[in-house]
Amino acid sequence: MRAVPISAALIFVSALAIQSALAASVSVQVTNAAGQPLADAAVYAEPLSGQAVPKPNKMLEIEQKGRKFLPLVSVVQAGTDISFPNNDTVRHHVYSLSPTKVFELKLYSGTPGKPVNFEKPGTVVLGCNIHDTMVAYIHIVNTPWFAKTDAAGRAKLEGLPPGKYQLKAWHFNLPLGAQAAEQPLSLAADDGSASFRLNTKN
Amino acid sequence: MQFRSLQSRIATLFLLLILAIQLVGFFAIQKGIHDNARKSIQEELTIGERVFQRLLEQNAQKLTQGAGLLAADYGFKEAFGTNDQETIGDALSTARDRIGAALTMLIDAEHRVRATTTNSHTAGLEQAVMKLVEQAERAGSANGISVDGNHPYQIVVVPVKAPIVVAWVAMAFPIDQRLAADMRALSSLHVSVLTKDDRGAWTPDASTLPAAEAASLALQLKDVPEGMGFFPKLSIGDSDFSARIVTLTKTSAKPAVVVLQRSIDEAIAPYRQLQVTLLFLTAVGIAFAAAGSFVTARRITEPLRQLADIAKQFGRGEYRGQIGIKRADEIGDLSQAFESMRDDIAEREREIIHLAYWDTLTDLPNRAQFTNRLQDAIVHAQKHNENCTILMMDLDRFKAVNDALGHGFGDALLKQVAERLKSQICDETDHIARLGGDEFAILLPNTGVDQAKAVAARILKSFEVPISLDEQTIDLGAGIGIACYPEHGADAQALLSHAEVAMYVAKTSGNEAVAYSASIDKSSQNNLSLLSELRRAVDRNEFRLYVQPKVLLATGEVVGLEALIRWVHPERGMVFPDSFIPFAEQTGFIRMLTRWVLERSAALCADLGRQGLFPKISVNLSTRDLLDQDLPVKFADILARHKVSSSSFCLEITESAIMDDPIRALGTLEALHEMHAELAIDDFGTGYSSLAYLKRLPVDELKIDKSFVMKMESDADDAKIVRSTIDLGHNMGLRVVAEGLENTGIWHLLAEMGCDQGQGYFISKPMPAEQFAGWLAAWTPPEFAAAAGANA
Repeated sequence: MRAVPISAALIFVSALAIQSALAASVSVQVTNAAGQPLADAAVYAEPLSGQAVPKPNKMLEIEQKGRKFLPLVSVVQAGTDISFPNNDTVRHHVYSLSPTKVFELKLYSGTPGKPVNFEKPGTVVLGCNIHDTMVAYIHIVNTPWFAKTDAAGRAKLEGLPPGKYQLKAWHFNLPLGAQAAEQPLSLAADDGSASFRLNTKN
Repeated sequence: MQFRSLQSRIATLFLLLILAIQLVGFFAIQKGIHDNARKSIQEELTIGERVFQRLLEQNAQKLTQGAGLLAADYGFKEAFGTNDQETIGDALSTARDRIGAALTMLIDAEHRVRATTTNSHTAGLEQAVMKLVEQAERAGSANGISVDGNHPYQIVVVPVKAPIVVAWVAMAFPIDQRLAADMRALSSLHVSVLTKDDRGAWTPDASTLPAAEAASLALQLKDVPEGMGFFPKLSIGDSDFSARIVTLTKTSAKPAVVVLQRSIDEAIAPYRQLQVTLLFLTAVGIAFAAAGSFVTARRITEPLRQLADIAKQFGRGEYRGQIGIKRADEIGDLSQAFESMRDDIAEREREIIHLAYWDTLTDLPNRAQFTNRLQDAIVHAQKHNENCTILMMDLDRFKAVNDALGHGFGDALLKQVAERLKSQICDETDHIARLGGDEFAILLPNTGVDQAKAVAARILKSFEVPISLDEQTIDLGAGIGIACYPEHGADAQALLSHAEVAMYVAKTSGNEAVAYSASIDKSSQNNLSLLSELRRAVDRNEFRLYVQPKVLLATGEVVGLEALIRWVHPERGMVFPDSFIPFAEQTGFIRMLTRWVLERSAALCADLGRQGLFPKISVNLSTRDLLDQDLPVKFADILARHKVSSSSFCLEITESAIMDDPIRALGTLEALHEMHAELAIDDFGTGYSSLAYLKRLPVDELKIDKSFVMKMESDADDAKIVRSTIDLGHNMGLRVVAEGLENTGIWHLLAEMGCDQGQGYFISKPMPAEQFAGWLAAWTPPEFAAAAGANA
């Protein structure tokens, strides 16, 4: 992640701090079908009550280095821009043929001019035309409250105002075209927790 | 073919052996060839199957690559991603055309067919494709074979990765004629692809065989059980094939197979040449074998045949000639053995002939040869109207010399005689021979009797010179008989026997060379018949016992009688003993006569005894009787049977009889003496005697021979002899009897000399035994005797 201007960050943090005084957090544990902790799972809560959600204002980066996309899995809110800097010695031809967002960045190196905007929610699978093994997943969600599980399969959603949400979890190993697993979430002032057991392929 | 001949047997054996070997070899190699061909076919088919599988694999790989190429194309991926149906369709068609597939399909991740190039076979293949997609999802990609519309297809499925698998591209290629042709070009096997139709019958889909044959194959395939991979013999058209069946699809619903075929004839073809060569060699081998065996058999049997012929020659007596077999082997040994056998046989024959015709001792011809020569001479004489004469010679007293000086001496003597004869005969046509023993013969061809007599005289003169051998001097004498052809005989046998007769006459009469004449023969003829007549005489009782009384000279008393044998021949009348006794003695018949006399005398003795008369009966014994060791036993037997005592008998023996074999004679006499029979010496003074023996003999009586007695009145010497003999006898303690008392004067003389008894015509002639008793009764001694007896 690129360093954003310090002032913006400070403001953001303080805003969040104010928010968090009123918000709860949710800890989510994700495991796979066998009960093992599942890393790189997208966990997100979509409010049910249709309240207004803040718009994203960040730009994400998915770099190519060592003939790999890093990070493998990214979770972004719909409308986020993502740039794909090529920090590799070779050129890459990034493309996505996922219906959610079809785009391609033909053979380039360095940073392409414009970042790509992902306005629709869904899953986008990235590939490189030259390097068949390069793959990355972007899961675009309609909520600002999202997180990615760590190696222990844990993720924490923070700053959630109390209310009713639909808590969802998604992993790239789920069968292609499968919906995210979801469960309802009622959040009051205190923190909650949830767990998902995902029917992943492995 | 003759199977008795050795030649044909050997030849046949050889031939059969070689034939058997050749045939065994031929068939073994044939079998080997066939087995080899079959194995090689099997191997070819197995390899063919592997090649075919590899071909299919290669095909699949090519397809996979081709499909993969399409699936990796970005443009295609993009078209798919953007769901550009048309583009997708074109891309599929292009790809299909590039590779030459029959069908290309695009299936998405949800197993839905998104695009396809053909519609006609879609339904059938789709199922298979779906299955393959499922397989590909697990394994990454997949390929397989499926049948649709009676055509098998090879299908490949590859993933479209964008970058994860988003779809599958499937391509299908027909397994068709082209594949079959490729396979055939690679392996020279016939390839047929067959599928089973709805009715369950196999139909040929593609085949390198002509249509008719393919159809036939399909028909035959019906009978093949499931799962059988190898078909050793398949008849299609007019050829034979071996086939291997390769299953293409595992699903039994729509099975498809590929049949790989190898023509057996083609496979065997290279061996054909070998087989022909083999057959040719076999035939040649047999031909050679036949020739070789025939030749060998011939080689073995030909010499045997030769030897058989030669053996026949031997049989005919031909001992000459070479046996022309020069070999180093067993047959050569045999022929050598034949040669030496032949030589040996010839040699032995010569010896035998020699033995047969020559006398070994004197080296003169023998009787057989002499007889042959005589026959030849007679034939010659007959032809030329000549005489031929033989002389037969017998040595005097040869036996005596042999006995006295030994046989070795006798043989040497004979050799000397032979030499003397040879020296006397100088004419080459004259032949000397030794007939045997001490008999010699001389053949004088073209010679008359007078000439022969001259020769005989010459020979006898030569014998006047004594022969000296080993410091011994022997006087030789011989009797020679002469017989002449044609006067004395018409053939060899007649001449020989007549010469022999003449010879015996010469010996006995003292005439030293006698020519045969018919008169001589008569007596000899008589002699020949005499023996048989004698025998008949015994059987027919022609003999009579005569007795001559013996009286005491002092008193005239009859004290004994001498038993004599007389023969009353039915034709000749009375035959005197002198006529037949010597002959009987020579022939040994005398023993029969003696026994007869003893028998009759014993009977007489018994008879007289019953009449109260006991004269001493004297019976003459001959030499032969003395030598007969059974005589005492026979005598005892006769005595026993007639129940007379031996002391009634006196046995008379001549001096010569004793001297012939003194020792044995003594033995018999001792035996008789012990039986208490008296013994008398007969004809004393006329024969050989040894006084030494005389004193040893157990004799009781001496009989003075009548030759001295009869003339003693007139001959003073005879009288002296008589007197001396009487004294000798008395001095030895013997009784003396005088024979031949013919008048009173002699009686007086004898009585005066002291002789004990007398016997003679004066007293009585011999009379029949049965008359004796009568005579005795009538007998009166002469007065002087009676008076002397009364006075004494």
